[in-house]
Formats: sequence, C-alpha cells, structure tokens
Amino acid sequence: MSELHDLPDTLGAGLDAAFTRPIEHPLPDAEFNALALAAFAWQCKHNRHYMAFCERRGRTPATVTHWSDIPAVPTAAFREVELACASSGEADAVFRTSGTTADARRGTHVVPDIGFYHRSLIPNFAAMVVPEGRPMTMYSLVPPPRDLPDSSLSHMIATAMQRFGTRDSRWYASVAGGIDHDALVRALADACADGMVVCLLGTSFSFVHWTDAMRERGEHHRLPDGSRLMDTGGFKGRSREVGRDELRATYLELLGIPPTHCVNEYGMTELCSQFYDASLRDAVIRRRRGPDRKVVPPWVRTDVVDPTTLEPVPAGCEGLLRHTDLANIGSVIAVQTEDVGIAVDGGFRVLGRATGARPRGCSIAMDDLLEAVKRRTS
Amino acid sequence: MSDDEPIDAFHLPGLEEADVERWEIREYGPAPVRLRFPVLHARALTRIADRIADAGGAIRSMGSGDIVAFIDSAARRLADVDDPLRRTAEAALPAITGYSAPMIRLVLDRVTRDWTAPALLELLDREIPQGALERFVPERGTANRMLAVGPRLTLHIGSGNVPGVTVTSIVRSLLVRSPALVKTAAAEPLLAVLFARALESVSPDLGDALAVVHWPGGQSTVEDEAIAAADTIIVYGGAGTVQSVRRRAHAHTRVIEHGPRASVGLVGRDALATNREARAVATRVAWAVAVFDQQGCVSPHVVWVETSVAGADTFAALLGEALDAVEAELPRGSLDAAEAAAIHDVRARAEFRAMDGGAVRLFEGHGAAWTVIRDQDPAFEPSCLNRTVRLKPIDRLEDVAELIAPLRGFIQTVAVEGAGDRLDRLVHALAAAGATRITDFRRMPWPPPAWHHDGAGPLRELVSWIDLETE
Repeated sequence: MSELHDLPDTLGAGLDAAFTRPIEHPLPDAEFNALALAAFAWQCKHNRHYMAFCERRGRTPATVTHWSDIPAVPTAAFREVELACASSGEADAVFRTSGTTADARRGTHVVPDIGFYHRSLIPNFAAMVVPEGRPMTMYSLVPPPRDLPDSSLSHMIATAMQRFGTRDSRWYASVAGGIDHDALVRALADACADGMVVCLLGTSFSFVHWTDAMRERGEHHRLPDGSRLMDTGGFKGRSREVGRDELRATYLELLGIPPTHCVNEYGMTELCSQFYDASLRDAVIRRRRGPDRKVVPPWVRTDVVDPTTLEPVPAGCEGLLRHTDLANIGSVIAVQTEDVGIAVDGGFRVLGRATGARPRGCSIAMDDLLEAVKRRTS
Repeated sequence: MSDDEPIDAFHLPGLEEADVERWEIREYGPAPVRLRFPVLHARALTRIADRIADAGGAIRSMGSGDIVAFIDSAARRLADVDDPLRRTAEAALPAITGYSAPMIRLVLDRVTRDWTAPALLELLDREIPQGALERFVPERGTANRMLAVGPRLTLHIGSGNVPGVTVTSIVRSLLVRSPALVKTAAAEPLLAVLFARALESVSPDLGDALAVVHWPGGQSTVEDEAIAAADTIIVYGGAGTVQSVRRRAHAHTRVIEHGPRASVGLVGRDALATNREARAVATRVAWAVAVFDQQGCVSPHVVWVETSVAGADTFAALLGEALDAVEAELPRGSLDAAEAAAIHDVRARAEFRAMDGGAVRLFEGHGAAWTVIRDQDPAFEPSCLNRTVRLKPIDRLEDVAELIAPLRGFIQTVAVEGAGDRLDRLVHALAAAGATRITDFRRMPWPPPAWHHDGAGPLRELVSWIDLETE
C-alpha cells in the first residue's frame, strides 16, 4: 500500500481522528478549517494542475484563510486530467466514471492511498447502513471488483462486505451475465425460511431492473424484519424512470422492506466519501423520524452554490452541491458537482442533476447534434 | 408585472364556456408573470378549427393589398413602445423567455419590421407572380393561366423561446389567404396571442381567421384533432416532434418542417489584415453570438479563423472585448442550473486541457457572461450556447466545407467574411456541403423576410397552383 509522500503527520493524524468521530458530530469549524487548509496546501504542492487552477483564481494557500474559499474543481475536470497528488501508476486505485455519456472521455479519480478511503468509508457505512453494529448477510446486485476493477461503487461494496458481511454474503451480478435472478431468488427464499436478516446493495437502476423482472414472474418476498437495502444513484434517462416514492413502494411490496430501511446513497467517483439517507439511523438509533436528508459525515462540508456565480446561496435555496471532503486527501478536497440540491436541517437533499436544459431557441441541442454526427461518421 | 390579473395567453374566436375543461395559470420568473391558458375539450378544438377555416372566405375576398395593410397595422402596434400590447410584450417576455429586457426590445423591434408593408410586399413580389393569389394570371411562355391557392387551414406548431418565430409563420399563411390554427410553444406562448389581438383590432375578419392556443405537445387528443383539421402543417421543433406529427397526419396533408439547425462562421485572412479591421469583424461576430443568447438556428456555434494559433488567440481576445461590450448593451438572459453547469463544465475542461500542451486556450467573461475557447482541433463541435463559442484556427478557409459536410441537414447559416476573391469558389463549396444560407456576420442573426427558410420559398411552399388551360 502506498503512502502519501511527505504528508505532514499532524494532518494524517487529524484526518484519522476526524474519521472516528460520531457521525452526527461535525468537526468544529476551527478544527475542520485547520485540516482543510493543511490539506489544501499539501495538494497544491503535489498537484500542479490544481495549483495552476488555484493560481488562475488568485486563491492559493498563500491567500486562502477559510476552507470555504478553497477553489472547488468541477467534476468535468476529472475527465481531462489526472487530478491527483501522485501519478496513476503509483496509485493504489484508479476509479473511472461509467462511459455512458456522449463524450468518450470518462472521469478518472486517482486514489493514491486507498487507506484514507477505507478509513472514511467504514465508519460512515457502519453508522448509516448497519448502525446496530452486527454483521449481516449482504447480497450485491453490482458486479464484483474483479469484473469492474475501475468502479468505485463495486470497490465500496466489496469493502463494506468484507468488513460487515457474514460469510454467506455474495455477489449476484456479473458483467457478462447481469443479475443472476434465479440464484438471488433462491437465496432470498432461503433467507426468509431461515429468518435471516439480509442487506441488499445495488444501484437504483439495478433494483428497478430486478424488481421489474420479479413482478413479471409474479415473485415477491417478505424478508425478515431488520432486512434492508442500500441503493445508489439516480436512473434518469435510462430505459425507465421511476420516482423515489414509487421505488420505496415497490421495495415494500416485493421485498417487504419498509421505507425506513431503504437507504439511498449519494456518491460519486470523484469523491471518496459517501452520503446516506438518515432514515435507517433515525429509526434504529435515534428512534424517531427526522427530516428526509442525506447525512454529511464529520470530515465533509457540503455547500449549496448558485449555478451561475458559484457563490453560496441564501439558506433554504436550491443550487449546485459543492463538497469539501477531507477523505479526498490524495486528489482534490473541494469538488464542484452538477447535482442540484438544497440544505436542510442536519444535511442536504439531492433534487436531481443539472442536465437537460429547458427547451430554448431553435438551435439544435448539443446531444442531438453529437448523436447525429456520431451516427454518420461511424 | 404587479397586476393580479393573469394575462390571457390565447386567442380563440367564438370560445364558449363549455369548450373549456379547466383553466390553468402558469407563473414565470420571480416577480412572477402569470399567464392563463384554457385546457380545451378536443371537440371544442374541432369546432374552433372549423370556424376559423370558414372565416377563410372573408380573407379570400380581400385584396392582397388590404391583407398587407392590416398585418402592417398590427405590426406597427407591436412596434410602438407606447402601445399597450407592446408594453405587455416588453413586461412579460423577459420572465417568460429568460431573455434580458434589452434583448426582448431588440428582438421585438427587428421582427416587427419584417411584418410591415414594405417587407411583406417584397416577400409577395419575390415569391408569387403579381396578382396570382387573387385571380388567374398568365403563365409565362404558355397560353395558360394559373391561380395560387393557400391551404384551407394551416396548423402552426411552435417551438422554442425566440419571440416572433411563430408570428412570422402566421404572417406567411395569412399572406397566402390561409386561416391559421396556432399551437404556441410552451417556452414562448404570448407574442402570437398579442399579434392576434393587434390584428383583430385592425381587422375583425382577419382576427376571426386566426386561433392561437397552447396545449401540451405529444399524443393529446386535442393535438390529434388539430392535425386532422389542417390540410397544411408547419411544424417547428426537434426530430421527435416532427416525426410524431408526420406519423399522425393524413397522407394528403402537407407537412413542412423547420427542425433545429446550427450555424457557423468563417473569418478569412483578408478580414484580419489590420488590427482595426479585425476589431470590427470581432464586434460583428460578437453580436451574431449574442443575439438570442446564441439560441437561434442562425447563431454560430463555431467560428473558423484563417490564421495561426497565435493569430487566433489575438482574435479571441478581441472577440472577448467585443462580447464584454455587447454584454453592457445587450445583457445575457437568465440561466437555469443546467445551462450554467454546462458553461462551467465546458470552461473547466478547456482550462485543464490548456494546461497540458495548450491545444486549447480559454477566454472567459465575468460570471458566465461569455466564453471563447480557442481550439486547434478543426472539427465542428456543438456549443452549449448562451454565448459560448469556439474559435478554430485553420490554414485555408476552403477546408471548412469538408468539416461541415458530415452535418448536412443540420447546418443552416454560414457567415463568411474576409475571403476576398476566393468567395465565389468558397460559397459553392459551402452550398455543396449543405449550407442553406450564406451571409456576413452583421446580417447573420436577421435573415430577410423573403429568405429561403431552410432551403424553400416561404410562400411558394404553402400554395397550390390551379391551372387554367385555354386555347
């Protein structure tokens, strides 16, 4: 395992201390600021692309005194350059975004030291998905890392499974065969028969696909109480769009998993940290229903900024989400997303992705034109 | 608009209470501007369509001169800044369309000019032999006579937010004496209604031959009825809309499509001979980019510049200065999150690409006002719009024809300046590559009223000819 070259000991120790804080206890601003500024200075030193980006904005370690002024790199930049403090050859992991967009170049997140990723992932997953602290049987609807070596999601599930899964935990999907419906159904039937609590993990889209198939076959299960699922991401623009409420109703109907135990995860290839729905933790640990929200772990700050000016919006307004994630120590801690969200008490809500502009003008839409050009030149 | 009363965004002669299933109010902008729309029963649409088609008799008994005069009077109302209809347009359209108030004023001034008598007479003169809409006229070179007849009922399906596009379409069908049933675009459902009111105020007969209303596009039964009622359909919109209309129209219904198009520009070395000339061209390019915030089919996505990389950088800087100057006079409109994110995305990618080797260089205005990317890759690349343009240095202007040829059917206007004596050869190459309009940057955003819109005569494509054979 590689280590981050000349990372100050105090910074490394400070990050590890942050990762072990109780999930609802954000770092006090002064502490977060000290760590963020130290990380910023170290990243500028080891990441010439990022330093150039900061210099162009006149905001460098020499001038920035508060973490909120650290220049945030748009996720699009990860499609152009390796924004890391080490080359991909020396890195522990290189994660790539899925290659579904019209543009061939995929986003690349170089993770020089996977240790920081794991040390932040585990407490967050523990608190939000398995807060009871007991190992659980986990079934994945995402193919394993040997099939998807550059998928951060597959890696994340593998890490969670290794740490929190019982020996019965399994991968029920492969790149070649997709979801193994028959085997998964048998496993769920067994779990029901044995009264074994299970945790299902997958993308929202994989769950839609799978539950559609279950409905077609007339199958449904009533998984033992305490069973849960974690689905991640949206699925807009895919073959079928399903609203969150409809999906939750389906989970209850076909799997017997109540909405409190359906934890949606919001994460991205470019960020080491994840954000989970508070619903399960609210139900199991706090034992009261809180507002619908994604919980920001102690080592992250999430701001909502105006899409045009990229300045913070007034409280309660919609805007683009910007994350300052100390777990991104090996690349860039400040990341500007194209996800529209809103801050709420104790976290934030994701409202969608800022793509698909409203109908305007009579000029041809970029995607249509790219599509047409691709069709003709291929 | 502080008025509590919403603006009625429809013009429906003879509308009865029973025609309306329910009323819908839509709000636009922060103020907000409120528009009221009727949700019609399908059978009501059929009745209204029949009624305006019947009103065609009154138009057909008018002389062309009268029709022109009435349209001209209506246009002058919308051009007159003191007229209440114009005031409503100026007050409401910025919130509805997202364009800035100065942009709306400029567009209203320009488009209404296209509907005044001199422009209409020129259009008629260019398109239809004198008098042929009113009586049989001799056909050149034969003893026969011929009469031009407009559609019994033309359905216009609007699209996009550029004000005036739908009205121009209506004007064309009225000129050929065809009643117009108009489905307004969701993104700009007002100006056609205001035009109908202006027209009704000067000629109740013409007002009766015009119905303007909005309904949600797609498979609605109202739209099916409208498609069934018309014998000619002019549809603006994307490929999906056009296909859907074609599929539902009767085999004998004429469907004229104005799908989305993209435009480009060429700056030849002659235009860069002196700094002064280059600056003047840059200003014209900046206006062509800025008008309609680049969302028009006539707006340039890419400008090829016949110069070196360093020369292109110099020109990009001039273009940036010019775009700054335009922004002061004609501010860019509001952006939604997706549009703003697209601009920041394009900028970030250019910025980081510039760090590795410099094949691109980013020039940007304050906020998201404008973006110029000098890019050595000569290939066409669509813009995310809202004043985001790529400048591509090229060795020879002649090479551009080959670069746009794969986009045949999508490329509309090509602005060319500084080609010198190569212009003649160049325009043939561009025409062969699929361009349907070649002009300069100054005229680029404002095609003349009589232009061959996407390659066809705007009145000629509407009329049918009746032959009278004589000895």
